[in-house]
Amino acid sequence: MGHFLLRHQTPMLLAVLLVLIAGATSLSSNEALQVTLTEMFIRVIVVVGLYVFIGNSGIISFGHIGFMCIGAYAAAWATAEPSFKQIMLSGLPAFLQEHQYPFLVATAGALLLAMAVAFVLGLAIMRLSGTAASIATFAFLIIVNSVYSNWDSLTAGVSSIIGIPTVVGSFTAYAFAALAILVAYLFQISRFGLMLRASRDDEVAARASAVKIMRVRLAAFVLSAGLVGIGGGLYAQFLGILTVDPFYLNLSFITIAMLVVGGMASLSGAVVGVVAVTAIVEILRLFERGVPIGGASLGLPQGSQEIGLGIVMALILIFRPNGLSRGREFAHFAGAPLPAPSTAAPVAPPASAPAARPEGIPITDERKAIV
Amino acid sequence: MGALVEVDGIHVRYGDLVALRDVSLSVAEGEVVCIIGPNGAGKSTALTAIAGGVAPYAGDIRVGGVSVLGLRPEQVARLGLSLVPEGRHIFGTLTVEENLRIGGYIQGDRAAAKADMERLLALFPRLAERLRYPAGRLSGGEQQMLAVARAVMTRPRLLLVDEPSLGLAPRIIDQIYEILLDLRQRAALTLLINEQSSNRILKHADRIYVLRGGRVQLEGPAADLRDGEAIRHAYFGFGEAPVAPLDAPA
Repeated sequence: MGHFLLRHQTPMLLAVLLVLIAGATSLSSNEALQVTLTEMFIRVIVVVGLYVFIGNSGIISFGHIGFMCIGAYAAAWATAEPSFKQIMLSGLPAFLQEHQYPFLVATAGALLLAMAVAFVLGLAIMRLSGTAASIATFAFLIIVNSVYSNWDSLTAGVSSIIGIPTVVGSFTAYAFAALAILVAYLFQISRFGLMLRASRDDEVAARASAVKIMRVRLAAFVLSAGLVGIGGGLYAQFLGILTVDPFYLNLSFITIAMLVVGGMASLSGAVVGVVAVTAIVEILRLFERGVPIGGASLGLPQGSQEIGLGIVMALILIFRPNGLSRGREFAHFAGAPLPAPSTAAPVAPPASAPAARPEGIPITDERKAIV
Repeated sequence: MGALVEVDGIHVRYGDLVALRDVSLSVAEGEVVCIIGPNGAGKSTALTAIAGGVAPYAGDIRVGGVSVLGLRPEQVARLGLSLVPEGRHIFGTLTVEENLRIGGYIQGDRAAAKADMERLLALFPRLAERLRYPAGRLSGGEQQMLAVARAVMTRPRLLLVDEPSLGLAPRIIDQIYEILLDLRQRAALTLLINEQSSNRILKHADRIYVLRGGRVQLEGPAADLRDGEAIRHAYFGFGEAPVAPLDAPA
């Protein structure tokens, strides 16, 4: 049993990390900090969802915030005041228009709708690789944005959906973040996760090993869209008011940046990236508002938050190209240790590319006979 | 001795470049067959075509008498043909153990795959020592061994090995051949191997095909070709100069 816990310590350590952060912020009675904390946990869900696909498949998706939008609206349809829905959202089917569903039902709806859309989209684009797939996901984001901005009878168009019960606080958001981490971890160590990472490393060899790349990619895409959809559902029930605007380029890029800064090849990286970027943004925001020094208040000019974030992220990536986690997982407690590295094998960052074809580099060191 | 694989007059081209013209070859159950030829002769294309990685535009490829044209590589792999691609395609960020596990997924039976892995690791002590290392950190020879071991984990009937010696020191190459031939005995494997040079191959192969310029120039039992003169002619063409012919794709 102890062995089991050691082997699977990563998701627990990540959950504990988030608890510690929650604990630290609760020392301050600052209301705004609680809001930030909740928002951070929701972003953990979204970025962990993003990681499930991007990290394991190696394909960057610019479209996942589209699934967050889909999830958020699904939750809003389920939970907004029926009186509002009947007037403003005349296109909704009766079962949504006339009833108000509880939190869990709404969140499940967000999950299922995002997954269903991802399945259909994935069937079409999962056979693409690399840049072509990324651009296709970007096109999806644009499509979702314009459909949701213009389908007045379902989304209230450019005006907003109001009257969504704001039942999501930091505790609920935390619970779902921990759940997302667990799901992502289980996927990562599953057959599907392993096969998908194999296809990320080497497509030719994966096919030769009978890996059905399209199928494992599609599974990851649907699962990751589901997690991001839950993030959207929680976000709607956290804000209480919903518009299409937040689910576009800004959020897409900040979430991808979180993943890259943390290190996209590991789950720990996804979580750490959210925490780090959120912390940087909050600190810069603090300085923008002004820090009282003596009697005067010293403040950075408006916009320095964005510039500062850009600079800090660039610095992190210059010094740690594979992100803060270097693409590895947290493992604080020594589990089954690695075999003693042969002569001074440093704990190098994992090879960023599989050794492709080191032609003409003969192996010259003496080795024991193999057989 | 039925033919396990029959390649029947296939033509393959990449765009305007013709890589194989009317190539026929067959491999019988239990044989060690070798394709040799200069760089650009079409050897890799022939193996890739058999493994489903590239589609011939004419001709047929049959496995156990059934055409496999149009099957994708992952489907061909399920028929028991396992390709060890040229240039050590391993999963660099996964551990050695994970690399092997993926090879074993093809069998539904976890326990059997695990037993296979243990038997296999006895043949590859270097890999056994490094089970939890990222495969990308192995040396070139170890990576080649891992690629072979992973292919064997799929329990193939036929192992297609594309230039196992590429970029490796002679000593390591010998070890790899020893392992391949040992596996042939233990796992009842049939082997189809590509090589550029014939020296080592002539010792181990049952039959040989010499490929140049996308055509089969010569075929025959290795025993008949040991003097080497016929092979030299086929390999280099009738001009004396050891240059690939003009029609050979680069």
